Parts: sequence; C-alpha cells; structure tokens
Amino acid sequence: MLWAIASLTFLLFRLMPGDPTLNFLSESFSEEMRLALLISFGLDKPLHEQYGLYMLSLLQGDFGVSFLQKRPVLDILLEALPNTAALTVSALVVAYAFGIIAGAYLAFARGTVVEGIAIPAALITRAAPEFWLGMILLAWLSFGLGIFPASGANTAGSEFTSEWARLTSADFLWHLVLPALTLALYLQGLPLLLMRATMLEVLNDEFIVMARMKGLSRWAIVMRHAARNALLPVATAFALGLGQSFGGNVVIETVFSWPGLGRVLVSAVQGADYPLAQGAFIMIAGVLVLMNMVADLLYAWLDPRVSVGAKR
Amino acid sequence: MNRRALLLAATSLTALPQLEALAQAGQGDPVRPLVLLTRPQAGAPAAYQAAELIAQEWRKLGLLVELRPMPNQAHSQVVWNERQRWDATMWQMVGRPERGDPDELVFNLFHSANIATGFNFVGYNNPEYDRLAQAQRVEMDQPRRQQIVREVQEIVNRDQPYAFLVHPVNLQAFNKQVFAEASAVNQAGLGIRNFWNWISLTPTGRQRDIIVNSTEPVKATNPFYISGSPDSWVTDLVWDRMMRVGPDGLPQPWAAETVTQPDPTTIDCVLRAGMTFHDGAPVTVEDVVFSFEAPGMGNESPMYRPFVQNIESVSATDARTVRFKLKNPDAAFRISVLAKLNIVSKATWAPVLADYQNRPQNLESYVEERPIGSGPYRFVRSRVNEEVVLEANPSHWARPKADRWIMRIITNIEATLGAFRRGEINVIADYTGDPDLLKGMARTQSAMIAIREGVDIGFQFVGMNIRRPPFSDPAFRRAMSAAVNREMMAGAAWNGQAVPSNSLVSPALAAWHYPGIERRVPGGNIEGSRRLLQEAGYRIVNGRLHYPSGVRETTPIFQ
Repeated sequence: MLWAIASLTFLLFRLMPGDPTLNFLSESFSEEMRLALLISFGLDKPLHEQYGLYMLSLLQGDFGVSFLQKRPVLDILLEALPNTAALTVSALVVAYAFGIIAGAYLAFARGTVVEGIAIPAALITRAAPEFWLGMILLAWLSFGLGIFPASGANTAGSEFTSEWARLTSADFLWHLVLPALTLALYLQGLPLLLMRATMLEVLNDEFIVMARMKGLSRWAIVMRHAARNALLPVATAFALGLGQSFGGNVVIETVFSWPGLGRVLVSAVQGADYPLAQGAFIMIAGVLVLMNMVADLLYAWLDPRVSVGAKR
Repeated sequence: MNRRALLLAATSLTALPQLEALAQAGQGDPVRPLVLLTRPQAGAPAAYQAAELIAQEWRKLGLLVELRPMPNQAHSQVVWNERQRWDATMWQMVGRPERGDPDELVFNLFHSANIATGFNFVGYNNPEYDRLAQAQRVEMDQPRRQQIVREVQEIVNRDQPYAFLVHPVNLQAFNKQVFAEASAVNQAGLGIRNFWNWISLTPTGRQRDIIVNSTEPVKATNPFYISGSPDSWVTDLVWDRMMRVGPDGLPQPWAAETVTQPDPTTIDCVLRAGMTFHDGAPVTVEDVVFSFEAPGMGNESPMYRPFVQNIESVSATDARTVRFKLKNPDAAFRISVLAKLNIVSKATWAPVLADYQNRPQNLESYVEERPIGSGPYRFVRSRVNEEVVLEANPSHWARPKADRWIMRIITNIEATLGAFRRGEINVIADYTGDPDLLKGMARTQSAMIAIREGVDIGFQFVGMNIRRPPFSDPAFRRAMSAAVNREMMAGAAWNGQAVPSNSLVSPALAAWHYPGIERRVPGGNIEGSRRLLQEAGYRIVNGRLHYPSGVRETTPIFQ
C-alpha cells in the first residue's frame, strides 16, 4: 500500500504543470541559475533514474531534502507532527467521549424534547464549515472575552527545556483549547449519531428485554449492556477518524495559525516542493494504514466473534 | 408607419451589409480572442480583480478577452518557459531594499540581453533603451545618472512594454504603548518593515521584545540562500554587510567604516575595528574576502552568484582594507553587491564549501545548527510555521534597543488583528487585509496603535507579449494601457491602498522617479484608447476590433 502511495505521489507531482525552480524567480534569475537549481534538486536526471533513487532512499528511511527549506524532510515533518498529533487526538477524544455519552442518552431519550433540540444541533455543528466555527469561537472567546490566545501553539518566544516539556506545558494546552474545541465540535456529529443509531438497534435486542425483566436499573441497562455492544462501530470510526484527521486539519490549522502537518503539506504542494509534499503524503498515508490496522484489531478485541479462527 | 419612414427603413436595411462589406474590404483580420493570465482569486484577490477590470475595459475596444486564472506554479511555467505562447499576463515586482537602486529593474526587466531566458519575458527589444540601460550602469556622476534613469522612464512610457497599474501603499502598525513612537524608522518604499526599525524601536516598559507578524513562513536561514521575503528579514539581522540601504533608500557604510572609489573599477572598503561573530571570533578581512569569493565558486550559491560576476578580484590590502576590482564600472555596486552579500565566518564556511564542491547538492543545502553571523541580532531558534526568535547581540556596535526580535507566522488576517489587540504581537509589518479594519482599530484605540503608510517600491503590471501581434505594435500596447482606469483600480481592487503607476521606478524612490509620469499614460482613458487605435489603423467592425488594412491574423489562440 505504502509503495503504491509513494509511487503515485512521485508521479503526480512530476506530471503537474510547473517548474519548482521558478519559485526563485527574481529579476536576477537566469537560465544558468535555473539549471544549477535543477541539478541541485536532482531533476536533471531521467524520470526512471529519479524514481529509482527516490525509492532507494525511502527504503533507507531517507525522505530527501526539501527544495525550499533545504532541510531533511523527515526533520520538518517530525517537527510538525507533535502539534498535529496533539490537536487531532485531543479533539477526537473530546468529540468521541461527548458523542458516545450524548448518543447513548439520546437513544434512550427518543421522542423527547431534548432529542428534538439535540439532533438538529449536532447536525448543524457537523455541517457548519470548520473555518466558520473557528472564526466564531475566535471572535467570541479570544477577541471578545480575551480568554484564549488568537494564534499559534505557544506564547511568542516562550522557552522550554524539551519538546515534551513544551507539549505538556500549561501554555501549550491553553493554546490548544480553541483549535481542539473547533475540531471536536466538527467531529462530534459522527460518533453521536452513530452511537444513537446503534443504541436504538441494541435496545430492541432480546438480551436488553431480558435485562429489563431481571429488574436491572436504567443506568445499568444502558451503560453496562447496551452501550458496550453499541460501541463496536464507534470504536472503529474513532481509529479511522484518527488516521483521516492527521492530514485533514488544514483549515483549522490555518484559522488558528497552528503549526501542524496540514500547513506543511499545503505550502509544499503550492511551492512544488516535491520531496516535502511526498514525505508528508507518505507520513499521512502511513498513519492512515496503521489506524486501519488498529481498527481491525480493536474490532476483533471488542467483539471476538469477528476475529480470524473464532468459533461460530 | 408612413411611406417615407418605410422607405428609409428598407433602404438602410439593404444598405447595411454593403457598408460592412466595404468596411471589411479595407480592414485586416479581426484580432483573435486574447487571453489574460492571472493568479486565482483566492491566491491574489486584488490582482484578480484588477485583471477583471482590465478585461472589461479591453472588451469595450472590440476585443474578445478571456481571463485565465492559473495556479502560481503553472502560471510561472507558462510565462517563463513558454515565451512564445501567451498574450498578456498579470505580474508584480515586490519591494526589496536592494531595489532602492533602479539598476536591477532598469537593466533586467527590459534589456534585450534578457529576452531569451532572463526577466525580459515580454520580449522588449529597443537598442535605444539598451544603450541607456547600460549607460546608467556605468555612470558614476549621480545627477547625470538620474537624468539617464528619467530618459529610461520616458522611453518606457512611450513604448509601454508593460501596462503599469499601481504601486501598493504599505499599511503597517505598531503598539506605541510598548515602543516609543519617535523611535520607529520608516524606510523609503518599505515602511517600518526594515532593518533600521528593528534595531531602533525602543521599548518603554516591561515588554522588551519586538513581536512582528508574517503571513508567510521563514523557509531557510542561510547566508548563501534566500527563498522569500521573510527569509531576508532574518538574514538581514543575523549577518552584517559592508553597506546597508539606508532609510532614505541610498547606500551607507555599515561593516565598512569607509567606502572609497579611487577609480570607476576599484572600490576600497575599510572594515570597522573590533567586530566579532556571535561565537566571539573576530571578523577579519579574510572573512570579508571569502564572503565575496564563495558565491562565485562553481554553482555553490545560484542565488548570489549573479551579484559577484562583475568582480574581477577581491583582496585584502592591509589588516582592515578590502579592495574590489571590477570588470566593468558599476554604479549600483554599493547597493546590489556591498549591501546585499552577507559577511560569513571563513573558519565555518570554507570547510563546508570544500565539502559541498564534491557533492551533488550546493552550499544552499547546508544547515547550520545555530547560524553564526556578526549582525545586531543572534539566532536563537526557528520552529516551522510558528516563529523565529532572535536575541540582541550585546557586543554589536549598533546594539538593538529591544531584547529580542520574534517573528510570528500568522496565516489568518483577522487573527493577526486579534493578536495585535491582545498584545500577542506588537508590530503588524505584513498586512494584506481590509485597510479600513486596521485604520478603524487605530481610531478607536488611538492611545495604543500607531499607523504608518507609504508607497511601496514594488508595482503591479500587465506584461504584454511583444513577440505576439497585436502586442508587437507599440500603438496597440499604448491603447491597451490607456484603457486602464488606474484610479478606479486602486480604489476597487486595492481598497484605496495603492497609487496609479506608469513607471518601473516607484515614487517612493524620490531620487530616481520621474515626477508626474503616472499622469502621462498616452491616451489616458477609454476614449483616448479608441483614438490611438483609430490613428494606428485599427477599426471596430461588427463590434470586433480588426487589424489595420492588409494585416492577417496568423498567431494561434492561447489554449
């Protein structure tokens, strides 16, 4: 899978119109300079030779050097990755925790006024554009009330002893709240509706009727019996959502000037920075493949009936 | 209807096709549909809107004009590498300190030596212009050079190889509760986004950092490589140069205590005493000589190589003097070379250069863990897409008044304003949003916000491909340029933050600009444009503009 993605991205960028050397256009730009840049980018070689070198480097864990930043691609990606991971994981955890509880409750409260208000509200936040949600929260909680910062992942010039110290600092978490909240609001619709729909199915199952007949409390029926069974598709969606969100936070990252992987990818594509764009795509694809695998394993663990070799 | 009216109507109806046939018989072919290239609205909203206005006016002249937005890369690819193919394109030159001297623009934009592969992508070829462009290059007498640069602008006005549109007006702001208002320094054509301001801004309270926004990230911090404007803001501060472009746009000695010119091809620079690099090593004349030799060695620094090609030799004549021998006299040498090349440590870079000469990559790929210069600020760190932090160099002779200089990358304009109001940043140096928003904020918070406005060195223009008729005809180009309503464009597309342009030398460069030339576009309006076309033999038949008599349309339509 990763080989196919690596090959596709390699070809895709080279087939796109545009010459990466033209990023450097200025009045002193000359043909001599263009050729020198082509050589330094390795684009003077035939395509098959470029491909061979690229795959060989990839096998050695070398993603190449960014055309524009002149730094190893892996260094750039690893610098942006923690910010993206923090944003994605925190938003997904909040969204799924809220979605699971609210979805389970709404299934139980079917036909009530609460459901009549909550379902449209969940659909509206799910359908609202991320940038709009982000700007509303920025205008309200940052520009208006002044509670949260307007941009970035840390206060300007703040010093930390290590990357871990930065990621666990109060300053980082304070900066994380608004972008994570926006992303969580955007993401919560799926787990909420999924949980509610699955719960409605499960609540009609015979074992729930049996639990009622046994005189178990409402809470025990919903949380201990129904919710556990309804969680299966939600858990799968969580793992898949984690993989998808790693590369899909471009809008949130732009609204909040969040220094993550999405912005790296966009600027690399805009600047025809082939090595950086390829590296970012491969990394995102790698996370997606990994999360697919995690989803499969998680499903088998949560429901042993679907695992290979399970007794039927 | 009475009989007479019926007769008149019948006569005119039958006569009309004959009149058109007569008109067509004396005319050339209709001009093919023309394509105006532009960047997409999302990427360059002002330029796109300007292109729409231009297309609208050109259509009034009987032209079929299609606006073709293209992504940045594809646009550059067509304009630069497929020079025979396109008709007209929106383009811009941005303001940079070294453009304070007109030479780079005068020579590179329109000299015929640059037609095939250089910046003269419109293909303008005029021996008279070439002669003057060369003459201003070697003229050492300032008043005479100014006169030549004016003549150059006059020729450009006559021939209109570009339809110049506007010079943007920079709108910037800083927090005057943090910095003494009088300490802010404006540089001609750049505003407060300049070297002098960064060393001069004086904090008045506890907040002692300059925190400035940038909409674009810094890509690299390397003295032999520049990949965008924010990169050069940083290199400007970390590395010293022999000279600097001063606030008035003229070169002035910096690391060189004095700069003298015994003859037109010899320049002596006396290095300031006691200079040190950030690691404590002294800055020597050997470092200076190496800094000017390295870009010329092989293809190790493609960005800087063109600037040292006129240097025949550079040598140390004593412990503090460096002598430059030039191949040809160069009036712009001080700005375009002495104020541009960074002084690097030979001890650091000579081994790197030797190593890279045996590698496929060049010197641009070398990343110093912590860049070492001798400039007024020391490099602390850079976090991708977030910020660059520099700290004041206490041993510099021009020690900055602020403690740190921090560039924050903020991609959202509204968030930039919010961050400024909240004190997360204290200088807005890169503002592309609605000017009324920032000005309105300054009015309501007048005790906090100081606004600075000034015409930029850069300009926006339509490049017309002179290789392709009808743009090969100067009269046609003049008419196209005349049809553009620059005042309206400045108001509508740039929200009033621009002034009309008709020259490659901005009014911000008072010493070089030809005063009043922006009001002298030949024709000057749509009626004048029609008159110019009429005088040149073009005719509108059935609403379509036709070439002068006998001219056939043989140029393919841009696909």
